[in-house]
Amino acid sequence: MKPTGKVAALVVAIAAFAVLPVFLKSYGVYLCTLFCVTLMATYGLNLTVGYAGQMSLGQAAFYGIGAYIAATALKAGIPFFVILPLAAIVCFAVGLALGFPALRVQHHYLAFATLGFNVLVFLMMRNEEKLTGGTFGISGIPRPTLFGLSLDGVLPFFWFTLFFTILLICLLWWLLRSPWGRAFAALRDNPIRAESLGVNITAYTLLAFAIGAACAGIAGVFFAALVQFVEPAPFHFSASLLMLLAVIVGGSGRFFGPVLGTVVIVLLPEWLRFMQNWYLAVFGFAIVALMIWLPGGLLSIPEKFARKGAAK
Amino acid sequence: MTALPSFLEVKHVRKAYGAIKAVDGVTFSVGPGEIVGVIGPNGSGKTTLFNSILGQIKPSAGGVEFCGEDITGMSPLELSRRGVGRTFQTLQVFTHLTVRDNLIAAAQEFKGTLVGRLFAKPDAGLGHHADEMIELFRLKHVAHLKAGTLSYGQQKLIDIAMAFMPAPRLVLLDEPCAGVNPSLVDQLRELLIDLNKTQGGSFVVIEHNMDFIMRLCPRVICMVEGKVMAEGTPSAVQSNRQVLEAYLGN
Repeated sequence: MKPTGKVAALVVAIAAFAVLPVFLKSYGVYLCTLFCVTLMATYGLNLTVGYAGQMSLGQAAFYGIGAYIAATALKAGIPFFVILPLAAIVCFAVGLALGFPALRVQHHYLAFATLGFNVLVFLMMRNEEKLTGGTFGISGIPRPTLFGLSLDGVLPFFWFTLFFTILLICLLWWLLRSPWGRAFAALRDNPIRAESLGVNITAYTLLAFAIGAACAGIAGVFFAALVQFVEPAPFHFSASLLMLLAVIVGGSGRFFGPVLGTVVIVLLPEWLRFMQNWYLAVFGFAIVALMIWLPGGLLSIPEKFARKGAAK
Repeated sequence: MTALPSFLEVKHVRKAYGAIKAVDGVTFSVGPGEIVGVIGPNGSGKTTLFNSILGQIKPSAGGVEFCGEDITGMSPLELSRRGVGRTFQTLQVFTHLTVRDNLIAAAQEFKGTLVGRLFAKPDAGLGHHADEMIELFRLKHVAHLKAGTLSYGQQKLIDIAMAFMPAPRLVLLDEPCAGVNPSLVDQLRELLIDLNKTQGGSFVVIEHNMDFIMRLCPRVICMVEGKVMAEGTPSAVQSNRQVLEAYLGN
């Protein structure tokens, strides 16, 4: 397909997705909004894991930090558009700090280091009751307004979230097309060679973690405004595993991989609910099958067929 | 032979792993624009010497100077910024990047600042230079393909082209002919001679292909058991009795 054709197809797909919730009940609109929110976090994780090759099982911690910052600040009456950059900056800084272990350890060791960080943040959310409300959480979080217009309705908030999701994805596209994107790929493919070619692997490793964390922080802000109640459970390390699953199932290091991966982790379980007690078992089986037949993710299907065609 | 002013000075470099002396007091110098060959049997310490010069490992003793500056123990990143490049014994390309992107990645970090590169053009202004290198290394027909999908020989050419992309002042090439077919070996030699003339850098080349090294390098060093056994013109080293006994045979 020609580039103009690809852009046209993308615009049509986005327009269709923007219109879809009009025909859905409120739970359907909620799921579409949750899909957008999760997409912001998985896009960030795709940069850290897929493009820069740094394993992370701590993305839900940043998602939670963003959500708790938003919950506390929105209740205190701080404007949403102040909270959004604030959460991004805080998560960027914490992500930068989390990047330091990555300078010393890699692969499964790094996975456990980041997982440990997620557990630590989760325990703080659960036990620091004065700050986070503990297991009771923080309720009554107001939704933002836009130029005086209320975003309390499910549809206006969906469109608001969709706009920012697209904006964030466009920013990441621009970043990954810049020389930074190539440096991240060099770091992932061969850090020793990259360093001998002047790539500052310390700086790019830390940046990969920090940018990915900032995306999750932004997602967390939208999550708090969406559900209007935050408690520790959605930020358990199992949420980080699901986000990593989204990146891998979609196609790690492929730009549109998180879109398909997030469909799998957010929407697929809902579509399978008609199976009642069996739906999670079928979901699990589907994931196992995907990992066996498509280790490169769903976006590797065309390449797989092309290879088979060439082999014949 | 006229003595060239020293450019790279390797002074009494030693590297020991316990009782094993991988490099044992090696001293040599390289002049500007000079091509020096390093030969020797497997395990003679050639790659350890390279890694000691290039900051991959820290020498146990001795020092290395580059353009009068002590560079002993400097990181590969610091060395690359001083114009010291290298290739590795094994293939070291960025497999998921296209050939063109591999070449751009090899030089982009030398242009502007970290923040400046975020706002730079996607090719960092290196697209034309990358295309020239692609042309020079006869890789035009595969320029748009991912490096990991290409043959070993093609990846070897990319690997070497990457080292020359930032126009380094000194390049250390570790077995550039390893695993490369004979027709490509001739092409490689011509390319290196061409790059030496056009870019003007100095090269130090480790190689087991005697024909390649003798025709490329006006000066050759032979290492055996971590020490320099002989040094001189290719014909002098080739006819050295000790070298014949320890490495080349009759």
